[in-house]
Amino acid sequence: MAYHFDFNFVPDYAGMLAHGIGYTLGLTLLGGTLGTLIGIGGAISRTWNVRPFAGLYRCYVELFRNTPFLVQLFLIFFGLPSLGIKLTEWQAAILAMVLNLGAYSTEIIRAGLQAIPKGLIEASESLAFTRWQTFFYVMLRPALLKVWPALSSQIVITMLGSSVCSQISAEELTFVANFIQSRNFRAFETYFLTTAIYFALAVIIRQALAAIGRYAIARRPQA
Amino acid sequence: MKVSHMFHSLALVGALALGSFASVAQADVLANITKANTIKIAVPQDFPPFGSVGADMKPTGYDIDVANLIAKELGTKVELVPVTSANRIPFLTTGKVDLVISSMGKNPDREKVIDFSAAYAPFFNGVFGPADVKISKPEELAGKTIGVTRGSIEDLELSKIAPSSATIKRFEDNNGTITAYLSGQTQLIATGNVVAAAVNERTKLRSLSVKFLVKNSPCFVGLAKGETALQTKVNDIIQKAKKSGALNEISKRWLHASLPTDL
Amino acid sequence: MMMTFTLWDIIRNLAISGLLTIVLSVAAFVFGGLAGLAVLFARISKIRAINASARLYIEMFQGTPLLMQLFILFFGLSLFGLDLPAWLAAGVGLTLFTSAFLAEIWRGCVESVPRGQWEASTSLAMTYAEQMRHVILPQAMRMAIAPTVGFAVQVVKGTAVTSIIGFAELTKTGSMLSNATYQPFLLYSLVALGYFILCYPLSWYAQRLERKVHAPRTN
Repeated sequence: MAYHFDFNFVPDYAGMLAHGIGYTLGLTLLGGTLGTLIGIGGAISRTWNVRPFAGLYRCYVELFRNTPFLVQLFLIFFGLPSLGIKLTEWQAAILAMVLNLGAYSTEIIRAGLQAIPKGLIEASESLAFTRWQTFFYVMLRPALLKVWPALSSQIVITMLGSSVCSQISAEELTFVANFIQSRNFRAFETYFLTTAIYFALAVIIRQALAAIGRYAIARRPQA
Repeated sequence: MKVSHMFHSLALVGALALGSFASVAQADVLANITKANTIKIAVPQDFPPFGSVGADMKPTGYDIDVANLIAKELGTKVELVPVTSANRIPFLTTGKVDLVISSMGKNPDREKVIDFSAAYAPFFNGVFGPADVKISKPEELAGKTIGVTRGSIEDLELSKIAPSSATIKRFEDNNGTITAYLSGQTQLIATGNVVAAAVNERTKLRSLSVKFLVKNSPCFVGLAKGETALQTKVNDIIQKAKKSGALNEISKRWLHASLPTDL
Repeated sequence: MMMTFTLWDIIRNLAISGLLTIVLSVAAFVFGGLAGLAVLFARISKIRAINASARLYIEMFQGTPLLMQLFILFFGLSLFGLDLPAWLAAGVGLTLFTSAFLAEIWRGCVESVPRGQWEASTSLAMTYAEQMRHVILPQAMRMAIAPTVGFAVQVVKGTAVTSIIGFAELTKTGSMLSNATYQPFLLYSLVALGYFILCYPLSWYAQRLERKVHAPRTN
């Protein structure tokens, strides 16, 4: 018997799929924003060797970049309660996303800061920029602008990686796919459709981040 | 129906993308088993007492004993394939295993996609939790968090009877469901009575006492649709094992009780 | 039927499964590297159709979750009579995933070879193959080593996802043991430690290589 494709289940589960997409986007948005902030903090501490943060950040970055996201997730959700720290699946998923992205963005932004020529900083000091102005306009903004494409790719990779959050019952897109599949047993159609949705999300997020890079970061400071 | 047209064309794209050559050669699974001299059987590895791993990482339990018994009666070797509740039916429908012996209950939705043998084990599912939580009926689940394994009979039943203010957390496998309960991530879980007993036997982390039973849902062997020759054979073996007392031995060994006479 | 696990049982079983993780990682990296080389040549080809299909290939694997790729390979292909066991689906899935990422990393290296190098070698009447072999690739390779070693870390970590289709590598074994011993914190900490032991030396080496490449040449 030839396999018959049947996508007729989709309208019945449209609401659930939308919920899963929203959950995945929420994870990405929060994870991306907070992760980037952690990364900025980490990059600053490491570039100027701010004690004790520089050392702490170093350990944190190495730990999170050298272990799988899935294992981090399991440790946070199933492991931490034995130390008395109980997080819901939503909090655990967010925390894992933020910490994971924070570790990568620390290194990405640090590379950007290191690429700023020293002469530029000296020049801005001679122009009587305040320390804050120098830091923001001469260092952080150009650094972010330079590494924005790398940071954007990392955010997309993290979004795609969030598919394993289904393992701790977080109701994101893959969870919904598995849920539908456990009700209608149409495994292939469900996974095919979900993969296509992820692909569309990746394209949309990449475009959105590129737009943010163009308008928010590259924009000249208002006089 | 525009929408449905759209999904048909989507289906077509899917078929073309993978080159819709041939299909699963579902000639006669029994003949293939005999030819290969091996039967592939899906068993649980995270669901004591039906299937769990020992220190050598080999699965043992009620379902594994039944799988070995069937293979022995068929006179073939057996290849045990560990599966989870969520993926055992795809394993069968995609031809990755010949039989599913994974404490699986029967319901009309499942009967649309796979066939079942005669029952081989008793199973009562219910809601379990700490002794001091006072709950005795589904309505009292309001506001509670209940862990359940996605795609299990407990999941399907609980989704129907739980009040809307109850939170059902669905995990990929029994491992996740049980670990989440033991680590305090869910207040209650829905599972089998013998499973709760087995967990109590193994750990003192957090006890499981019965709140109420949901359904008598005995376990059946799952087969791919239309494999009547294999189905007849498996049914014969189960009948024979019931008569000879072999199945009762397995029940006493793992469930500490004789098989109920109405099974 | 109480089963007792000593700490030694746990560590021994994790170590055995860690070997599977290593084998899977090495296989995916080697085959993914070879396939990635083919994709790279397609991607920098001047023939539009080849170039475009390589681009599509890369976009598809970089734009979808590895978990979904594995689900489709494992459950999807069976419906077409192509039955891959879990280990093969895991290997093939990771190989395809690796090839797409490596091809893209390497393309960046090839493109960062200054235009002048192409022009100069063209003026020496070199053919495309000669240009590649003697001028472009040697320079690109020098730049490619560090990010390639760095990506090996992603491959090792990627193998964790194959646990979800039932391949009994390190993460899956950790989950199974966690379920048998009811000590999730201990088990997942040990699993994390296992990955760290595998990945940290690679990360460290990649960073060292990177510093070397970017260091100014004095001689």
